[in-house]
Order: sequence, then C-alpha cells, then structure tokens
Amino acid sequence: MSQPVIDQRSDGQKRTEKILAAFHDEDRFTKSYDGRLARQIWRFLSPHRGMIALSVVVLLITSGLSLVRPLVMRDGIDNAVLAGNRAALVRFGLVFAGVLLAEQVLGFVHMYAMQIVGARAMSSLRREVFRFLHGRRLSYFDRQLVGRLVSRVTNDVDAILEAFASGAVNGIGDVVRLVGIVVLMISLDWRLSLIAFIAVPPVALFVRVIRKPMREALREIRARTSRMNAITNEQVSGMSLIQAYGRQDTARRDFDDTNLAYRHANVISIKWEAIQDASIDMVGSVCLASIIVALGYRPVSFGTVVAFSAYLSQFFEPISQLAQRYTLVQGAMTGAERVFGLLELGETDAEPKAGTGPNDTGAAVSLEHVTFSYKPGIPVLTDLSLSIKKGEKVALVGPTGSGKTTITALLLRLYDIESGTVRVFGDDVVGLDRHALRRRFAVVPQDVVLFPGTVAENVAAGEIPDPSRVRHVLERIGALDLFLAREGGLDADVGEQGSKFSAGERQLIAFARALYRDAPILILDEATASIDSDTESRLQHALEELLKDRTALVIAHRLSTIREADRILVLKTGKLVEQGTHDELIRAGGLYAKLHELQFSREHTPQAQSGEVVATA
Amino acid sequence: MPELPARVPTGLVAQLARHGPRYGVGVLLLGAYQVSQYWFDTRLRVAINDALGPHHSRAVWLGIALIAVMLGAAVVRVLSRVVVFNAGRDAEYELRRELEERLLELGPSFYRRMSTGEIMSRVTNDLQQVRLLLGFGVLNVINTVFALVSALAVTIPISGKLTIAALSPLPLLLLVSRRLSHEFYTRTRDNQAALGKLSARVQTSIAGVRVIRSFSLEDAELAAFDRTNQGYLDRSLALARLRGSLGPIMQVTIAVGILVVFWYGGSLVLNHELDAGGFLTFNRALGRLTWPLLSLGFVLGMVQRGRAAYDRLRDVYLAEPDIVDGPLPEPAVVTGRLEVKDLTFAYGTNQVLRGVSLVLEPGRSLAIVGRTGSGKSTLAVLLSRLQPTPRGAVFLDGVDVCDLPLKTVRGAIGYAQQNAFLFSTTAARNIGFPLDDPDSPESIARIHAAAVEARVHEEILALPDGYDTVVGERGVQLSGGQKQRVALAMAFISDPRILILDDPLSAVDARTERGILEAIDRQRAKRSVLLVTHRVAAASRCDHIVVLDKGRIIEQGTHAELCATGGLYSIFAEEQRIEHELEKLGRVDPEEARVA
Repeated sequence: MSQPVIDQRSDGQKRTEKILAAFHDEDRFTKSYDGRLARQIWRFLSPHRGMIALSVVVLLITSGLSLVRPLVMRDGIDNAVLAGNRAALVRFGLVFAGVLLAEQVLGFVHMYAMQIVGARAMSSLRREVFRFLHGRRLSYFDRQLVGRLVSRVTNDVDAILEAFASGAVNGIGDVVRLVGIVVLMISLDWRLSLIAFIAVPPVALFVRVIRKPMREALREIRARTSRMNAITNEQVSGMSLIQAYGRQDTARRDFDDTNLAYRHANVISIKWEAIQDASIDMVGSVCLASIIVALGYRPVSFGTVVAFSAYLSQFFEPISQLAQRYTLVQGAMTGAERVFGLLELGETDAEPKAGTGPNDTGAAVSLEHVTFSYKPGIPVLTDLSLSIKKGEKVALVGPTGSGKTTITALLLRLYDIESGTVRVFGDDVVGLDRHALRRRFAVVPQDVVLFPGTVAENVAAGEIPDPSRVRHVLERIGALDLFLAREGGLDADVGEQGSKFSAGERQLIAFARALYRDAPILILDEATASIDSDTESRLQHALEELLKDRTALVIAHRLSTIREADRILVLKTGKLVEQGTHDELIRAGGLYAKLHELQFSREHTPQAQSGEVVATA
Repeated sequence: MPELPARVPTGLVAQLARHGPRYGVGVLLLGAYQVSQYWFDTRLRVAINDALGPHHSRAVWLGIALIAVMLGAAVVRVLSRVVVFNAGRDAEYELRRELEERLLELGPSFYRRMSTGEIMSRVTNDLQQVRLLLGFGVLNVINTVFALVSALAVTIPISGKLTIAALSPLPLLLLVSRRLSHEFYTRTRDNQAALGKLSARVQTSIAGVRVIRSFSLEDAELAAFDRTNQGYLDRSLALARLRGSLGPIMQVTIAVGILVVFWYGGSLVLNHELDAGGFLTFNRALGRLTWPLLSLGFVLGMVQRGRAAYDRLRDVYLAEPDIVDGPLPEPAVVTGRLEVKDLTFAYGTNQVLRGVSLVLEPGRSLAIVGRTGSGKSTLAVLLSRLQPTPRGAVFLDGVDVCDLPLKTVRGAIGYAQQNAFLFSTTAARNIGFPLDDPDSPESIARIHAAAVEARVHEEILALPDGYDTVVGERGVQLSGGQKQRVALAMAFISDPRILILDDPLSAVDARTERGILEAIDRQRAKRSVLLVTHRVAAASRCDHIVVLDKGRIIEQGTHAELCATGGLYSIFAEEQRIEHELEKLGRVDPEEARVA
C-alpha cells in the first residue's frame, strides 16, 4: 500500500522536478499569527462590528446551554426516571428537547451571522484587490502571471474567510466551554473530577499526535488534487502533441505517478480520519463505562454520573477544536500576507503630476522629442516628434516593430515616456486625470477584446446600453442586419472571449463601440488577419462612417485606408522617415512607394476561398 | 501491492467484484463492530442496575471489561473504514487510470465531440461521485443495516412497543434527509460554479487590461465584477444557510423521538415494565442509530448520483478510437518513401482535399504552397494519420499507412504543429518532449542544439530562469513566434525519417526566418522534408513544389518552372519579393523581442 521507495530518477530529472515542485508550491500554508496582518483584516471586518457582537453574545448563550444540558439530564434522571414521577418525566422530556433545540437554533444564528460578516467582509476585500489591480501601471501586468493574480482575488481571500467564519470567534466559545466544564465538574463532585482529569494529559497528547499528521495529510491532498487536475487538463489539451510524437508511454507514466501520489495522499488521510472518527465515537462509551467503574467504588446519584459522563465526553471536543482552528488561522495569515502584500505595491497607473503647461497650437495630438523604451537600454522611439491637426486623418505606416502601436499607447499614457512631451489638445498628458485623458479617445485595437455580456453591452462598452443608440451606430456602420439576423439579436451573449463571432464580426463590434463612444479622436489599428470578403466590404463602409468628422490616427494595412488619409506618416525603427500625401510619397520613391507596390500586387491576386476549416488532431 | 493487469474492468459491478475480498473483510469488521456495540448495550444494562443496587462493587469489573471492549471496538472501527475506503480509493485510481488509457487512444473525432471542459468534469467530479459510491456509500449501506439489526436486538427485548414508538419518526427523517442531501449537492455545485465564474471574470479582466485602460472602463469593470462577486456571495451564503440548518432540522426530528421515548418509556418504567438500566440502555441504543439513520438519506442520494456519474464516465469508456494500429507488424527499416495517391478528404460535408497525388522520395524535399484554406495543413496532418486518413491513399515505403502500427507511422513522420501547444513545464522539457530522458546531460545538449537550430535559444536564455523557466498556460507566456520555434525545435529533436513542417515561418520576423530557412536546408541533408508554407522564399529551396488551391493541385514543378508559367505561384513570388524588399528596411522587431 506504500509508495515505491526505489528512486530511479537521474540527477537531471530530480533537478527539474525540484524546479517544478517549487513552481507548483503555491498552496502551502506556513505563516503563523501576525498582529499587523490581523489588524489589516480587521479593517474589513469592523464595518460589521454590531453583527460580530451579536454573534459573540449568541455564541456565549449557546456555550452556556451546552453546559446546562447535562445538568438538566441529571435532574431528569434523578427526579423523574429513578423517582418514577410520570409528570416530571414528561416535563423533563420537554425541557431536554427544548434545550437541545435552543442550542441548535442559536448555534445556527451564531454560525450564520459569522458567515454573513465573513463573506461580506471578504467580498469587499476581493473588490478592493480587483479595484487596486486596475489602478496599477500597464507595465506591471507585462511581468505578472495572470493565474497568480486571479488566485489573489479568489483562493487567498477565501482562505482568510474560512479561518474567520469557522475559526477565530469560535475559539472564544471553545475556551468558555472548557472552563465551564471544569468548573461544573468540580462543583458536581470534585473527587470524581480529579479522577477524570487524570485522562486529560493522555487525551491532549493524543490530540497533538494526531493533529499534525492530519493537517499535513490535508495539505498534501489539496496540493495533489490540484496537480491531478492540472495534469489531466494539460494532457487533454495537448493530446494531439502526445499522439503526434507517440509519447503515450511518457504521458501514461506521468499521469500514473500523479494518480498514485493522489491516491497515496488520500490513503494516508483515510487512516488518520478513521482514527479520529473512532476516537470521537469511543469517547462517550468509554466515559460512561469509566463512571460505572467509579460508581462501583463510590456510589453517588445516578443522575450525577450521567451528567458527569456527558461533561467528560464534551470536555475533549474543545481541546481538539482549538488545535484545528489554529491551522485555519495559519492559512488565513498566509492568504492575508499575499493579499495585503499585493495591496502595498506602488506602481500607480498614470498619476497626474506637474507637467509642462498647456500649449495650444491647434494640434489635436502631438509628440515632442519623445524617447521611450519598454526595457531599459532598448529604445523603441528615439527623439520622435509628430503632430496631428484637429480634424486631420493620418495614416501611420511602417514595418512591424517600427513603433506604430507604441505611439498610440503613449497618447493614452498607458506607459510613461523617458523624455519629451506628449500633448492632447495642447495639454501635457502627465498633467491630466487618466480617465479624462482616455475619454478623449475611441480605440479600435488590432486584436478585438470582447467582454462577457451581450452584443449591445459590448457596443456600449461600460455604459448601460441605450438600445436605440446601439441600433443607430450599428445601422451607421451597416452591420445592424448582420447582428439582428443572429439568434438573440443584439441581446445575444458573445460567449467566452467572444468565441461565437468571427474575426470580421468582432471587428465590426469594435467599430460600433468606437462610434458609440463618440470621442473627438479615433485611434484605429487595422486588423491584418484575413477576413472573409463579405465582412471585408462591410468593414470598408464602416470605416468611412467612423472616420467622418473626426481626428483620426490609423495604423493602416490597407491601401484603400491609406489613400483616404490626409497625410501619411512613415515610421522606421522608431523614427519618422517620410511624410506627405500618397502622391508625394509615391513620387519620392522611398519606403512608402515600396509598400504601395506590395499592396497593389496583393489586391490583384485572386481572393482565396475563405471559410474552410483546417483542423489538426 | 501486486502489479496491476494491463487493463482492469471498468464496469461498476465488475469493480465491486474486483475488490470483493476487501469489501468482504469490511463487512466482517463492520459486523464485529456492531456485535461489540450490542454486547456493550446489554452489559451496560446489567452494570447500571448493579451499580445502582446494593452490590455496587460488582460493577467495577464489568465497567473495566466495557472499557476494554470499547477500545477494541475502536480499533475494529478504524480497520473497517481503512479497508473499505481504501478499496474505494483503489477503484477510483483504477477507473482514472482506465480513463487516461482511453483518452490516449481516442482520436480527433472524440475530441471534437467532447470539449476539454466536459472531459475534465468527468475525470474530476464524476469520478469523485463514483468513488464516494464505491467507498463511503458501500460502507454506510452495510453499516446502516448492521447498526439497525444490532440496535433492534437491544431495544426489542427491552420493549418491542417502545421500539416501534421510537422509530415512528423514521420515515419523516428519511424524507427530510433525502431532500436535504439533494439540496446540499445542488448548492455545493452552484457555489463552485459561482466561484468559477468569478475566477473567469477576473481572468478576462486582467487579460484584457490594455483595452480596459484605453477605453477608461475601470469603473464598468468594477461594476461587472461587483455583480459576479455578489453572485458568489449569495451562493456561498445559501450554502452556509443549508449547512448550518442541517443540525437544527435533524435535531428537531430526533427531539420528536426523544419525547416519544420519555413520554411512553417513562410510563413503562412507572408500570414496572422497564427498569432504570433498561431505560438508559434503550436510550443509548437509540442514540447509536441516530447517525446511520440520519446519513441514510445522504447515502441514498450518493448512490443515485454515483450511478448517474458512472453513466457519464461510460461516454469515455465506450467511445471508439477512430485511429488505431494497422494489422501489419513493425517493419525493420523505414526508408521513408512517401506517396499520396488520389487523396480525397472532407470534414463532414466540407470537402477539403480533392484527388491529391504526390510522391516524396527519401532525402528529397517537397513544398506544399497555398493560401489559407487551400487544404495544405489538412494534407500535412493526414500523412501521419493525425486525422482519420482514408485507406488506400497514403503509402509509406509502398505500404498503406492505415495498415502499419501508429508507432511506426508517427515515428517515421515527424510533424511540427502550426499552433504550438506548450505544456506547463520548463522550456527545456518542452523542447525535449520527444525524448525519453529529457533531463540527462546528453539530452540537455541536444535540446540546446535544437533550440539554436530553431533560432529560439537566445530568447530562452533571456527568460527569467533560462531553460528552467516554467512556460505554458500557468507559467511565463511566450509569444506566438516563440511558441512556433519551440515546436520547430521539438520536431528537429524527434529525428524522424520525414519531417513535416506546417508553416514554420508564419509568426517570425525576417532575420529569424532566414536563420530557420538555413536550418531547414541542413535538415534536408539528414531526412526528407515536407514543407507546408505560403512563403515562396521557403518553398523555392525545395526540390519540388506543389501548389494547392481549394483542395486541388493546380500546378507543380520547381521554383523556376512555376515562376515561368505565370500561375498562382508566380503571383505569390512577385508579391513576396516586394515584401522582402520592404522587410529589409525594417529591423529586428523590438516589441517581438520584449517578453510579454
């Protein structure tokens, strides 16, 4: 039943596995109690102070009732059962059932109040983390793993909740019950109590001995389960690769290792859980039998004996509960450390700061001697200056990597420049509120991102969609019929990441979105992806609508778009190399002329049949 | 543990039978445990009556015996659980292993029908339900029956009438717990779904952060997040409400039983039909029944769900693999002559290839050129049977590939994917994927060499931990071009007789393209190369070029011949000549070099 012990792995294999283990090791909880973190958690709990107080009061009453119950039992047995008093017996039955019920109902009230407090507090913490993330610089996200950030908002926050809802406050109840039981037992019969307390050290020791491996086993299960899920997901997703390279044997072995380790972790936990279950089951009977032994030596009232045995069996529960709760608190602290550690991060997105004063030259946007790099030492733009007049339509052309997209990002201040000035309507962008700045633009990115929701919601992008306006903009770009023809019309769900729409349709939604926004400046990054010819012609029409009466900066890939432009800027390796109208540039015979020659040739090749699906295994 | 047979039965009954001996031992242990409980209860009655009577010292030894038996019973209880639950876990392990076995065999038609998400839900949730049925479910069904027998054996001799009275709330209890079990299951599932939705929401939002910024949509995103967050809050509170009310609801039902016992049992005591010891023993025996009866409704629900879940597992177990080994044995040598004869292929009603014929002699190179949707990628995957290749169309060394073992075909024909998939493991292990021991020093050397050849070495070194960087969905994200070159390195390392490269240049810049073309030239010295491409620069280096359009070969020949004819190929050539000129003006793409 145990794991194979012979380690046949090579050194290299062990090394790689160590790296992978470190990578997957996110789930382990190690952090002990930390007052500073506890105070930060309290910040989110404190709005619910009243509810917490209520819960604590109810908890104390519940603990009190659980202490009273054995006394009721003693009374009932001595005065009703053994005395043979029928009326007292029925009364006792009612009282006992009543106490039991009250304890349960109040227990529910306490538990639910704590859940409400905890879940609400964590919901606001979750919101806080989410809001915080959206206030970081874009460059921060370039370095982060998306999965890790998602677990900050979900798993880590849930770990804090778990500890709070079933941990921290209940600890008070455990302590109260423990003290109460000791006091009541002594007051019932101190000599019998002393005999009973002899059992405490071995029980405490037992709890200690069993707690640690159980905790370890549960952690192991958690880690193994997530590995099991990960490897299954990955093998299913990469099945075509496994089959193409005939790596079934390796895949089978890896899967089996994980499957075995998963089973092993569970088998270990089965053992400890069975021991715990049997101990809990046994405590009552053994206590009862012990009392009988004691009674054999020293008779007391039978009711006292029963009450005593009840206290005795209740006695051990809080001891083991307290140990369990501490484990949860550890989990919470680890989660809290990650979450609050994140919240201490600086890197605020586009904070307004004193820039150069406004300088209205009539330009809609301008770059003045701008130098910028994503990575220090590798400049993308070097001392670049350009300016676009209000109402002007400018096409930005150049080979990939010449910095076209970067320029548009800088206008929106998605990144901060190293030197120079970026102006929008004469204002230095660093001096503007980021939202005020970005609302001056409507952007159509090359890769359209659709958000979960309906077509209308995606067109309205962030606003509550006004149905008539949504229809109007779709009408204007000539795409209304296309979307109305689909099932669900404008209220159709776009599916996971817009999976239900073709590239062309997504592009049309992005156009409609830009039109709906109705911002003074349009930034358009034309798609290069092949689009079916029907949608293509719709896009042409839509583009004309979009450019009407607007300042526009278009990263253009289509000749027709470029020809429409008032001015063409040709970019090469972060520098402006040519500019002028189409005819001027053709005459100049430079980079643009070459680009044009290419486009001309393309537009004369017969269009390939699109829409055929090429699937690989 | 004895070595497992190659295949184990996947039937539910067969699995029960397979672990039959252990379930048998479990039955014996559970029986022994309940017998000990019966013994305890009957002795307890005597002991209490002794202790309360004049001969109270007689109770001492009896009490000690009771303690000893209970300690023994606890050991039996532990063993019973370990034996039965382990059998359940073993069954789970074996069923999962068989699922994997099946998934490795199944071909594209299965994976088109069942999404990754659906498969995942079967391998995780459904399997878990089946395991609960085979472990917890089995144990509890047996235990409940035994507990009932053992408790009734105590209570009926004490008082048959009281027993009937005490068990009167039983049907109600069953009804209530059955209902709660169902509710519990649904709410747990809803809660998990809500959490999944929340994760997806955060994931999309972070992945789309650039667009959100550009449109200044932060507030709208927060509002959308709030709705999902609230949904999760509501679901988790709904679950908490139910979980918390289980106790009170059950206790109310039990309290009814207690009242009955006190009211009716009390009157029996008064009429001297029942002694004090008997009354208390009755109570204990009844108490012993509480949990098994309470859990009965849950167990019944579990059995039902387990069976339904098992039906879903059967969707995988019973699926027929569409691409299987041919009947012929593995040939001793493969020279690598590949011939395609009149190959026609369709995805459903969508005709993709129409009567394609071509030959690739060993050591030669062939380019397949065409636009997107011309069928060239489909042709590439059919050669090594990655899609269900029709019989009598593709021949390796003159033998129909459908007659050969898959291992032979795929070992001889290496295929570098266009849309490369990366596993969430180190960059080195991804490239070394085709190797048996990718971590040995020799393998590492080969991996580096292949990476250099595929022009991805320097970029891997620039990753945070170089070749040890964990990449893939959960790790550092590589760009499309980088992924493609990792796939190319993977293909180089697999060392096949025939190397099929599916558009290896679609996402790389000019300088890298040149490097890769040179690498492909070197590959041609070692093996046959079949290059699927839309780039004339790549195709022109091949011995023979086939131009595909709408699934048909429209022209073929050498580069020079095709350029002279003025067909589709010559148009491509002209177009790309200009493109090349243009690219020369550009430089290495700094955005591409930046690790996203």
